[in-house]
Amino acid sequence: MTPPAVAAAARPAIARRVRAPALVWALPIYLFLAIFILYPLYRLFLDAVTTDEGQLTFKFLADFATDSFYRRALGNSLIVAGGTVVGCVIIGFLAAFLLVRYDFPGRGAFGYLTMLPIIMPPLVGIMGLVFILGRAGTVNIILMDYFGLARPINFIYGWHGVLLAMILHYFPLITLNVVDGLSKLDASLEEAAEAVGSRGLRRLRDITIPLVTPGFVSGATLVFILAFADFATPLVVGLQNLIASQAYLNIVQFVDRRLFQMGIVIGALMAGMAIVFLVVARRLISMREYAVVSYRSVERRPLTGIARVLAPTFFVVVLTLAFLPYLGVTLAAFGRAWSLTPFPTRFSLEALDAVLHLTPVFVINTLRWSGLAVVIILIVGVPLGWILARSTLPGRGMLDAITTLVLALPGTAIGIAYIRAFHQPLPFLEVMLTRIWIIMPLVLAIRRMPYTVRATYASLLGLHRSMEESAASVGASGLRTFKDITLPLIWRGVLAGALFSLMFALQEAAATILLFLPGWETMTVGIFTYYTSGTIGQAAALGFVLILICAGTLFAVYRLTGARMGGLFGTGGGG
Amino acid sequence: MEVRLDGVVKRFKNVHAMAGVSLTITEGEFFTLLGPSGCGKTTTLRVIAGFYDPDEGAVLFGDTPMNGVPPAERGIGIVFQNYALWPHMTVADNIAYGLRIQRVSTGEIESRVQRVLHQVGLEGLEHRTPGQLSGGQQQRVAVARALVLNPRVLLLDEPLSNLDAKVRSRLRSEIRRLQQDLHITTIYVTHDQEEALVLSDRIAVMDHGRVLQIGTPIELYEQPASLFVADFIGTNNLVPGTVATVGDGMAVLETPAGRLRGKVSGQLAAGRRAVVAIRPENLVLDGGGDTDVTMKGRIVLSQYLGSLIRYEIEAGAGVALRIDVSDPKSHRLLAPGHEVAVRFASSAAQVFPEDGAS
Repeated sequence: MTPPAVAAAARPAIARRVRAPALVWALPIYLFLAIFILYPLYRLFLDAVTTDEGQLTFKFLADFATDSFYRRALGNSLIVAGGTVVGCVIIGFLAAFLLVRYDFPGRGAFGYLTMLPIIMPPLVGIMGLVFILGRAGTVNIILMDYFGLARPINFIYGWHGVLLAMILHYFPLITLNVVDGLSKLDASLEEAAEAVGSRGLRRLRDITIPLVTPGFVSGATLVFILAFADFATPLVVGLQNLIASQAYLNIVQFVDRRLFQMGIVIGALMAGMAIVFLVVARRLISMREYAVVSYRSVERRPLTGIARVLAPTFFVVVLTLAFLPYLGVTLAAFGRAWSLTPFPTRFSLEALDAVLHLTPVFVINTLRWSGLAVVIILIVGVPLGWILARSTLPGRGMLDAITTLVLALPGTAIGIAYIRAFHQPLPFLEVMLTRIWIIMPLVLAIRRMPYTVRATYASLLGLHRSMEESAASVGASGLRTFKDITLPLIWRGVLAGALFSLMFALQEAAATILLFLPGWETMTVGIFTYYTSGTIGQAAALGFVLILICAGTLFAVYRLTGARMGGLFGTGGGG
Repeated sequence: MEVRLDGVVKRFKNVHAMAGVSLTITEGEFFTLLGPSGCGKTTTLRVIAGFYDPDEGAVLFGDTPMNGVPPAERGIGIVFQNYALWPHMTVADNIAYGLRIQRVSTGEIESRVQRVLHQVGLEGLEHRTPGQLSGGQQQRVAVARALVLNPRVLLLDEPLSNLDAKVRSRLRSEIRRLQQDLHITTIYVTHDQEEALVLSDRIAVMDHGRVLQIGTPIELYEQPASLFVADFIGTNNLVPGTVATVGDGMAVLETPAGRLRGKVSGQLAAGRRAVVAIRPENLVLDGGGDTDVTMKGRIVLSQYLGSLIRYEIEAGAGVALRIDVSDPKSHRLLAPGHEVAVRFASSAAQVFPEDGAS
């Protein structure tokens, strides 16, 4: 942030004139973040180490650490999260490398399709997988009916199923980051290596991979935390001995005080991981500074021989697997009384009718909460992006850190934090925030704000200050300049960010499941409760509708940005 | 090491980046490929380096054909326009990387790195990373990295274009001195004709994938073979007109500035369009000496530059002439609006056919 600071120092008179009013309108934003991010986190950490009487104690932490059940659950979670990262890194890097560096049949189409798994929440993904790969799923039925298999194969129930669903959902995050890194790499860096005899795998190891590492590691850390903190996905296949699932069960079932406390400890642990992510991200930002000016990207080489077949095959296999859940969800949404046949024998619109007309509450709530969340995000996030990119206001480093932190803060952790922080009467109102519906759009807004903040920040950085200054020099006022110059040039980027915020708000399946009260249910809540209570058709129908809405949103983003959105997931944002 | 290109053609899609380039660079020579952007000079360098294989023709180092030989096996050292230093490695690691690939012993790596650091004047900076260096220092590291493998040919692709003027002129001298000390065959790519003149033993001027002229700086400046070279190297006053007579190696042109005479350069015939080229320093204001051609004009602009006075003079419709008077002390500065007679020796002027083809 030094350049703006230097600029301010060079024009002290102007900076002073701007500062006073800027602080006035910026203050509510600071307060908003303090109340809805910092305070809940503070309560979460505080509650993990204090008794009901307010005494400092490490008893809960010790309880957690010595309980062999939690230790095993923690181990399982680390394995699932670690496995997800490894799988995502392998698939994601390979996909990115092939897409950027080589030409082969179908490359363009694969480039677009690779991003699509992002639009389906893993909760829906694993449900769809169950329809195809479950005990009575398509594949097992075919194997038993036509190939004489006696007992179904367990493709999906257990950690391997969770791993599959997570990898298929999250690998595009790595791909995006690596594509971004590789495209920015100047060809001469690799040619210089080639000139001194470093080729092939050696060059990949010594030069290429280290240079895309910043984007790579930040993406991988994010995937690790997201996989670690997801409780809904494992519960769909009955996997309870994971740490996130335990946190959810402990908090929601509220069996006893001790279990509830364990849930809080787990929530604090997850928040702690997000802070680790923040530290990693910070370090990587300083590494990013070595991004050289790119004159010429590496030429895309046509693949020849066997590789020309293998590359498309790789994409076809990965994408087929990634699209299985879509197939499963669609079949189950339209299938009527689908059981013990590979595919539904009769189709109907019953389930769809049920979720759209009979009990449309899930769809309506989801659109209502997410829509309101985006409004809040635009009101708070766009000025926040402006503060980071353009202002000399104090505390920008902190704001930037908070934005990055929120990106990595699991919904499970923030849900638990909100339960702790806002489960007490508000001053003057005598009512708890957790009992007012506004908490749903609020928590969604907080969770999904970083995408819009970053998009705004990036758009503003792309808009050279001199354009605004030249408008000011011909007499345009600050607001006029913003309206006539700034806004027309950045609205695309901001809107793309807001749509991303919207898409991920629609998909939220952690904080909302923890916080909803009867009447506030969202689609993911509906999917989760329908599915776990055995009303499969409705769960699938809701999943189908959710996918359609998310796909529409992503399509809009593509049209707006030409699919350059790698930066939204990385650490390169406000630095 | 002698480097030879023999009828090299390189196409990208349907563009001929090199349309039949033949040249010979002799052992120990400082050879510059000069031309505007897109002329094929960088492609030529990359073909010599081995990053591109020619579509037709041959590259030879000495008598060894190099087609298909990878860059690392050609014995070249290359410096890129943006230096291409690996940002995740220290200065020492950048320089030592090639030696490590060759499995040179640690002790020898150490001493060779120290030696090149000394040669480029960067002792003590070996533990910095490229991001902590100035542009000029980065450029030196790039040169050191290219030299540490004791290449037979040093290739430099616009190595000074990203530096500010002062650093550029200092490094220019250093590169030349280093090249002469090491007596290494050096091929230098630039679009800056002044840089080419100062540095080179010989220069190849390129345009549209072809070599237009090869010669020493003096030859290119004093005897450009085509209108393009005359215009590209140094400054030239170009006055277009129609050929009146040709004979005895001299041509007379009918121009808006009057009848002008100059040496014939290229195919000229009476009635064809042609251009007279006269350098600013060969024009004189006050008559005198060997001048035999006179134009009438009016001063439009007069600039005092300390070591010289520069006039812009309008001589006839659409003809703007630049005149450099190199001895300001013996000359009274003339104000704009002054009517003057501009004279030159026809032996110092050249007449080119208008399309530039000779």
